[in-house]
Amino acid sequence: MKISALWLGALGAILAPVLVAAQPSWQTSAPTEVRLELFRALKTANYPTTETLDQGDFHYEIAHRFLPTIDEGYEANFGFDGPANIRTALSYGLSDRLMMTLGRSSVLDNLDLQLQYRWLQFPSESRPLAVSLNGGIAWNTDIPGNIDRGAASADNFQYYGQLVVNALLLDKKLGVGLVPSYLYNSTIFSVDKQSTFTLGTYAQYYFNDMWGLWVEYSPTLSGYQGILIQNEGKRSHDSLSWGLSLDTGGHTFYIFATNNTRLSTAQYLVGAPDDAAPENWRLGFSITRHL
Amino acid sequence: MRWLIPFLVCLPLAVQGGEWHVDKKAQANRVEFTSEVVTFTFSGSTDKIDGFVYWEGEELFENKDQLHFEVDLATLDTGIGKRDRDMRQVLGTEKWPKAVYKGEFVEHTAMDTTVAAYRVKTKGTLALHGVERPLEVPGIIVMEEGRSKVEATFTLQLADYDIEAPSIAAFVKVGQEIVVEVSFYLKHVK
Repeated sequence: MKISALWLGALGAILAPVLVAAQPSWQTSAPTEVRLELFRALKTANYPTTETLDQGDFHYEIAHRFLPTIDEGYEANFGFDGPANIRTALSYGLSDRLMMTLGRSSVLDNLDLQLQYRWLQFPSESRPLAVSLNGGIAWNTDIPGNIDRGAASADNFQYYGQLVVNALLLDKKLGVGLVPSYLYNSTIFSVDKQSTFTLGTYAQYYFNDMWGLWVEYSPTLSGYQGILIQNEGKRSHDSLSWGLSLDTGGHTFYIFATNNTRLSTAQYLVGAPDDAAPENWRLGFSITRHL
Repeated sequence: MRWLIPFLVCLPLAVQGGEWHVDKKAQANRVEFTSEVVTFTFSGSTDKIDGFVYWEGEELFENKDQLHFEVDLATLDTGIGKRDRDMRQVLGTEKWPKAVYKGEFVEHTAMDTTVAAYRVKTKGTLALHGVERPLEVPGIIVMEEGRSKVEATFTLQLADYDIEAPSIAAFVKVGQEIVVEVSFYLKHVK
């Protein structure tokens, strides 16, 4: 019996390499982790999403806010007859997480330079979440003649910072965003420097690959919410915008109603020139092209 | 029983066969797809291919031959980030991150006598976008010292894998037929 046991042991020891060799030793590897993509666009109509461009990519935006109200009806073509405030902007991916945007808005010929950094992401099957940081400087270059100040004066510059938090809910059909925003030098015409703290909020429901419905509401929580430009004569109000989005493989279109005709982040954060009653709604649109 | 000892000792040598893994450090590994659209060509590529070729026996693909290759679809690069994102969405890479081809060699013929190059034909299944379908892929293997180079070209129909042809510009759809070209190196590990 002892001999048989020894033989079996030897047989096992000798056969082991053969059995091992009968199977390939290759092991599969984990798939590459990619950046979470929660919203389909870099921004909603007025606020940034957590998305950033890939390194080397360009992104162009043109946006209009028509000044006549929708309530003016056919005679003003519901606002499309204009005039309108206009913004154009070009963004560039400095890295896969850092993006730069240079824009210009027609109100006070406002130039702005922004940097956005994709900071954190929390993958989840049911509620993925991401966080970005956005900061910018705005330079108002069209100073009225009755203001004794050169265009390059430090008083013409505004500064802002935003924490952008996005999440996807409802089987990834509903995107929500919170954008607490701080603005310094809220109005360039104030003798004393003012600041504003606004809570940007938005939600976007994606019906399918192309169409979505969205809403933004931006209450000013503290700080300045007065006039933005001279002779406005009334304070600013919390902003409300809502409308449709259309994604067509590179282009994103937004068409909407809003009470806020200001486009530059530094101006939008102060609030809207009129309250959000329906008779104050204006038409607006944005078209973006991701290159 | 004494005759059994040398037999068993020699047995591993008799079935050592070959196992080759994709050399992931090779610079020239490349998987490229191309789609012809009416006005222009759309393509993307990655070097993230992994897998193995295995067989037993002294002769090439003599016995129990198998092959298994997989491509990390999330790494496909079309040169435009937005298009890459759209493609990942179309391919559902979050749910099906890899395309996997596994099968066996059904033919191999030497191409000439001076170079260890073989024209091969493989038969297996391709799993893509959650759909697994049979596929035959012809290719060329050039054997070198300790490594070999694999080249193959084949076509896929997106509809066969329940993939909706994506738009590459507003309302311009990618063609249904996709040409896939692969070129990569294997290294001998056993």
